[in-house]
Amino acid sequence: MKQLANWFRRQSLEASLDRELRYHLERRITDFEKAGLSPSEARRQAVLELGGIAQIREEVRDVWLTRWVRDFMYDLRFSVRSFLKTPTFTIISMLSLMLGVGATTAIYSLVDQVLLHALPVRHAERLVLIDWRGDQVANAFGSWNLMSYPICRDLDQQKEFFDGVFCRALTTVNLSTGADYYPARAEIVSGNYFLVLGVGATTGRVLAEDDDGTPNANPVAVLSYDFWKTQLGGTTDVVGRTVLVNRHPLTIVGVAAPTFRGIDVGQVPSLWIPASMSAQAIPGFSDLLNRRTRWMQVLGRLTQGMTLQRAQTGLQPWLKAMLQEDTRRLGFPVIAAERRRRFLDSSLVLTAAPQGHSSLRRRLMEPLWVLFAVTAVLLGLACLNVSGLFLARGSARDRELSTRLALGASRGRIGRQLLADSLLIALAGGALGAAAAPFAVRTLIALLPTDVAGTALHAGIDLRLLLFALVASVTAGILSGLAPAWQSGRRSLVSSFRERGGTAFGGVRLRKAIVIAQIALTLTLVMGAALFVRTLDTLIAKGPGFVTSSLVSFGIDSPRSGYSPSEGNRLIRRIDDAIRNSPTTQASAVAQVPLLTGGSWSDPMTILAGERISTDRDINLNAVTPEFFQTMGIRIVEGRSFDERDTRAPGETGWRSAIVNEAFAKRYLAGRNPLGVRIGEGSGPDVEPNIEIVGVMSDFNYRGLREESEQAYFPFFEGQAASGSFYVRVRGAAESSFQSLRVIVRSVDPTVPMTDFRTLDEQVDRSLNTEHILAMLSSSFGTLALLLSLVGLYGVMSFVVTQRTREIGIRLALGARRSAAIWLVLRDVLTMIFSGVGIGVPVAWALGRLVESQFYDVKASDPPVIAIAILVLCLAGLAAAFIPARRASAINPTDALRIE
Amino acid sequence: MSSSRFPIPQGTLDMLILQIVSLEAMHGYGIAQRLEQISRSVVQVNQGSLYPALHRLEQKRWLRAEWKQSETGREAKFYALTASGREQLAAEKDDWARLVGAVQLIFNEGSGS
Repeated sequence: MKQLANWFRRQSLEASLDRELRYHLERRITDFEKAGLSPSEARRQAVLELGGIAQIREEVRDVWLTRWVRDFMYDLRFSVRSFLKTPTFTIISMLSLMLGVGATTAIYSLVDQVLLHALPVRHAERLVLIDWRGDQVANAFGSWNLMSYPICRDLDQQKEFFDGVFCRALTTVNLSTGADYYPARAEIVSGNYFLVLGVGATTGRVLAEDDDGTPNANPVAVLSYDFWKTQLGGTTDVVGRTVLVNRHPLTIVGVAAPTFRGIDVGQVPSLWIPASMSAQAIPGFSDLLNRRTRWMQVLGRLTQGMTLQRAQTGLQPWLKAMLQEDTRRLGFPVIAAERRRRFLDSSLVLTAAPQGHSSLRRRLMEPLWVLFAVTAVLLGLACLNVSGLFLARGSARDRELSTRLALGASRGRIGRQLLADSLLIALAGGALGAAAAPFAVRTLIALLPTDVAGTALHAGIDLRLLLFALVASVTAGILSGLAPAWQSGRRSLVSSFRERGGTAFGGVRLRKAIVIAQIALTLTLVMGAALFVRTLDTLIAKGPGFVTSSLVSFGIDSPRSGYSPSEGNRLIRRIDDAIRNSPTTQASAVAQVPLLTGGSWSDPMTILAGERISTDRDINLNAVTPEFFQTMGIRIVEGRSFDERDTRAPGETGWRSAIVNEAFAKRYLAGRNPLGVRIGEGSGPDVEPNIEIVGVMSDFNYRGLREESEQAYFPFFEGQAASGSFYVRVRGAAESSFQSLRVIVRSVDPTVPMTDFRTLDEQVDRSLNTEHILAMLSSSFGTLALLLSLVGLYGVMSFVVTQRTREIGIRLALGARRSAAIWLVLRDVLTMIFSGVGIGVPVAWALGRLVESQFYDVKASDPPVIAIAILVLCLAGLAAAFIPARRASAINPTDALRIE
Repeated sequence: MSSSRFPIPQGTLDMLILQIVSLEAMHGYGIAQRLEQISRSVVQVNQGSLYPALHRLEQKRWLRAEWKQSETGREAKFYALTASGREQLAAEKDDWARLVGAVQLIFNEGSGS
């Protein structure tokens, strides 16, 4: 550091050293003169004694600043000066790298936040997710990797392998901290959650083992720091206050540490509730102690020095014993021998989970890596661009470099100078890119659904990100400097002096190779963009299979307002009636599970059609009101919709009737008349198929637009569902109907919360969110790539025309047509484009296969896509080459010959 | 005469400079003179290596430099020992004494047997 400071005060240091040496010499000369030497002899003696003054100076300078740093500083200074002399070149290079580094850094920011960032907890590297492989013989609700609470508590006892094992489940509660009720995310956790994670409290305390004792007896909660700050204004007297969760009072015992936002980056909880209070947090839930209900994710912290593999094998004997014991437990279901074997053969799978557990990660993992790869390619393109520009400048500096070589500069020294050039440009471009990255990240986050992005992701720039940008810039700098440095190493001193400015052909081949590489990379990006855009277009054109215009939806969640299931079901019927009778609506229906949200209710089915069969995969199930099909514009192909004939007789349980979709009929009832066939939910031998198929509906999407599935629907009002999604076809604009619908619901019950209010067009957009992002970003990046390689192409062709001015002039003088001159240039361009295409298509095809799951109804080898990409490249390339070609044709033969 | 003078051992020049400056602040020429006087006819100090050494010691903050009026009335750059330089000198003297002692021991052993 001190050495670098010396660089900036080197002038005063030099002056001072001069004075010091002069003083020494003059004193010595005086001494010698006193001793009787003549003045000239005295000076000679003194200088001789001191040794070479220039050498002393050099040695002292080495003390001030190590030699190579000093040389490097001189190189940098020289670079800066020469950059300032060629501002256009400098700005284009810097902008290229700024684009590359900025885009890569922005995407990396999301990759880091969503995929890589370890939880801010103690020893995150020892966290593991514990999952079950096999059959748990349990019913499930929730997302993925689910197990029951008692099994989690059993795992916590395996102290040989784990410091602790905790479990958690996310839910949405109806929360009130004062007058209002609003939906809030809550994480239901075992009592050791905070202890195992090693997370403390900002104020008060976190949950402890005691809070998770007797069920229903521990009405406490811990707030998240963000919730405390934003919703409660960070009041200091928060501990001891009461909040209402689904109308049950819970006492706040503390606020968690500021950096801790739960273990799921996509779903940040507002509060934590002990599992002992799960019946209050999830209305109607009473299976906390049921070993055969799986609903929580289980994570543990391995003991110091324990490996995943050892823990996994080591747990097996314990698991075997537990499974045997479970089959003897009271209430273990009667199951077929086959299923029993699957149960007893189950094993536990441990995976490292330093980033926690996240469904957002699951959803965004592949798209984010795709985008990251795309930006990396873009950065590569930017490097190639800068390389090309440097080579162009290199040939302009040919004589300077040759002169330096002739004066004795080593090739290494000159190569280093060129590397300093590109590093400097890359660092400057990278700094700009890093500065621009937060804006890009903010734009990216705005593309994601707000309920995900708003809480979970941030656009700030941190040390990790800066480090990434630095590494990216330095890599880019070295990469862009490689070609020019290599070129300078090959320079032949003699030929370079012999050649005159106009005829030097050095570097053209290398520059053409760079342009070809650029075209190949650009083609992959353009093809990728075309594939993603086609995927999105196809999905939009296809639609969900029902009419979305003027259709709005919202959820009613009555249990969270204290309704029992049967009361809730009646409430929904009252709201449904009120909406249907309103003059502002055309039609209204209710579905138990909302459509196009990614979730579903699914189970295998048993079908009795001649013989008894079980479906080979899960059927997507739902329960809907009779008006559902007419409201949604879904055709009843055969049979009828639900009506009063489906009403149960008193004392009768279960559903009487079902409507299946065409895919179901085609797959399982091929060739038969589906009407009258009997089915039952489940696949075990104990299932009684006594639900009659009364109708067949046209196919439409349930979970998302990509998924075609077999479906079976039941009558809503014959079930016990107390929550559901309303689908209302309104008159006039969908958006303006929200207020009137709110009024109608309030008139039935002013306290019941309405959730997820949105139009179906919006819902389709949301379910296509990933496809939107991929299509949009890949097109933008493709366009940028195209621009970058056009700059490269234009540059090299201008250069070629300049180089061949004389040749073209001679040809014209000998009677060649001007069009021949144009063709001379275009032929070059076409050769480069087709070489690039030749490399790019196979590369794009290979890469496309890796991300095939992101495409819909299109393959990486799709001929129209390839054709379009090539056409775009050719047109753009020819446009870029047009200006140099025009110049070539306008060459005046006499002028051209006079150049020499 | 010059044949009987041997070049100063590697690394001892710094120590000698620190020792000379420890008595009083001195400019480069003075230090050169003093080295010459003290070591006359024994060690040969290349004056050319004196200035890099002085600047190295200053960089290490063992010496501190100041422009002052010299005995001839002209301004000269005077070097003085800093606190950390004093510590360094003590340490080096100590090391040197131990080395000399050890070498002496070995010699004694050789002549004794």
